[in-house]
Amino acid sequence: MSSETTLTRRQLLGGATAVGACIIVGGVTAVAAGTASAETGESLAEVQYGFLVNMNKCVDCEKCVAACREFNHLSEDTPNRRTINTFVNSRGESVYVSTSCMHCGEPACERVCPAGAITKGDAGIVSTNKDVCIGCKYCFEACPYGVPNYNSVAMDKCDCCLDAGVAPGEEPYCVRACKFGALEYGPLDDLYALAEKQGKTAVPVGEAGAPSCLLIGEV
Amino acid sequence: MLQTTWGWEPALYLFLGGMGAGCFIMAAVLFLIDKKKHRLVTCVSMWAAFACLAAGLMLLLAELITPLRGMMMWQSFSHFTSWMTYGAWGAFAALAVWAVSALLATRPVGNWLAAHWGWFKDHGMGLRTVLAWIGLALGAFVAVYTGMLLMTAGGVPLWDSPLLPCLFTVSAFDTGVALVEVIAVVLSKKDPLAHRAAMLMERIVVVLVVLEVAVLAVFLWAMLSADPATAAGAAATYSAELLTTGGLSGVFWGMVVVCGLAVPLVMAILGLILNKRETRPIMAIGAIGALIGGCELRFLILAAGVHASILSTTVAGLLL
Repeated sequence: MSSETTLTRRQLLGGATAVGACIIVGGVTAVAAGTASAETGESLAEVQYGFLVNMNKCVDCEKCVAACREFNHLSEDTPNRRTINTFVNSRGESVYVSTSCMHCGEPACERVCPAGAITKGDAGIVSTNKDVCIGCKYCFEACPYGVPNYNSVAMDKCDCCLDAGVAPGEEPYCVRACKFGALEYGPLDDLYALAEKQGKTAVPVGEAGAPSCLLIGEV
Repeated sequence: MLQTTWGWEPALYLFLGGMGAGCFIMAAVLFLIDKKKHRLVTCVSMWAAFACLAAGLMLLLAELITPLRGMMMWQSFSHFTSWMTYGAWGAFAALAVWAVSALLATRPVGNWLAAHWGWFKDHGMGLRTVLAWIGLALGAFVAVYTGMLLMTAGGVPLWDSPLLPCLFTVSAFDTGVALVEVIAVVLSKKDPLAHRAAMLMERIVVVLVVLEVAVLAVFLWAMLSADPATAAGAAATYSAELLTTGGLSGVFWGMVVVCGLAVPLVMAILGLILNKRETRPIMAIGAIGALIGGCELRFLILAAGVHASILSTTVAGLLL
């Protein structure tokens, strides 16, 4: 317990000093992303966006979870779209990883949905048409990461805040809410480049389905 | 940790759908072998097959978040990259063909049609034969589909094996024959089963049980020997251990292996040895054991089907 508190304080301090740098880097990256897309002539439909989760920076403040719930107006019977998983490193310290839908390059949920309610659209965002979903829960059994949740209406999962009015390619509310730079959003190539600039290596969360969620581990 | 997203309704559907398919196939085989004999057993078995599948589909509808939307099949099952779509239409077609087959096998209905419809009087038996073959093919599809539904999901390592559709198909035939046996025993005073037919069914049971034991053993061996270093391998091993040595092992060995496989095998062999003597109680005990075991198998396979901890494995690699 005490080690967790110590870690949190340390990370808070480290995070605070990193905030400024991250804002600058993030801003530069966002500009760079726009430029890169314009340079290569790739449209949003062709570019796969994703999340970069920095395990070194997440402090389990749950602001991303709260922002997701608030701005997407999730009903009370809807489970959190974003979850924070806790792990313990070799020093016995807690490490946090915030994840939601992986917006897979080859989404299994989209393949198995009998109603065609799940589609992969601009920026590679995998979203659900709640007016078509029948709630058979086959998508949960197909998702290698067990992401889909269900409420009394339909399947529910992260859509990068599309329904909340965020345009494809723009930062979802969870990323905007993160004060420690633990969550970044952008074209996958740019996220790999961003990690490299920080002297880190980003790795995909897994192989199954070609997930668009990258992790930066401990140094 | 168990799989709970798909609860008892899908598990029971997988059992009822498979058993119904096997039951219709056995009834159709009895009808095709001798169209004059076992009219009542064939008729009741066809109705039982229809009732099983209908009940199973109702359970599936009940499991949906929006059952009414699910009933609009042309819209809700229109995405043909999903096996559930094929399964829904296949089950619907099977339900229709089995219903008509059962209706025509019902003596008052057949008599009435023959009296009022000249064409049916001349071609009724031919029509029933064609429907029996179509129903048989659809039954085979439904039996295979119950396993394909799980296998093609892909997200659950225990289910992600071609051996699972094999296991469910063999079990579907096995439980289907068992249901026809129970019906034959119940109707034995009104429509006694011919010795030849009884021996045929006992032989089929022996072959199916031996086949099921072999498939189940290879399936579990494959899961237990999966690479535990990978997330999928570790989950497959965990699931198989749940069944063989873990929290579900008591039910697995007792209900599936002993009650569902050993008892029917012993009873079928005993029935073959006793040959022309009274075998109805033996047949009934073996059949009921097969039905209990077949039902339990679906519940256990669903419950043990946990997801792989991919995130944990990746993070563990980064934290080393």
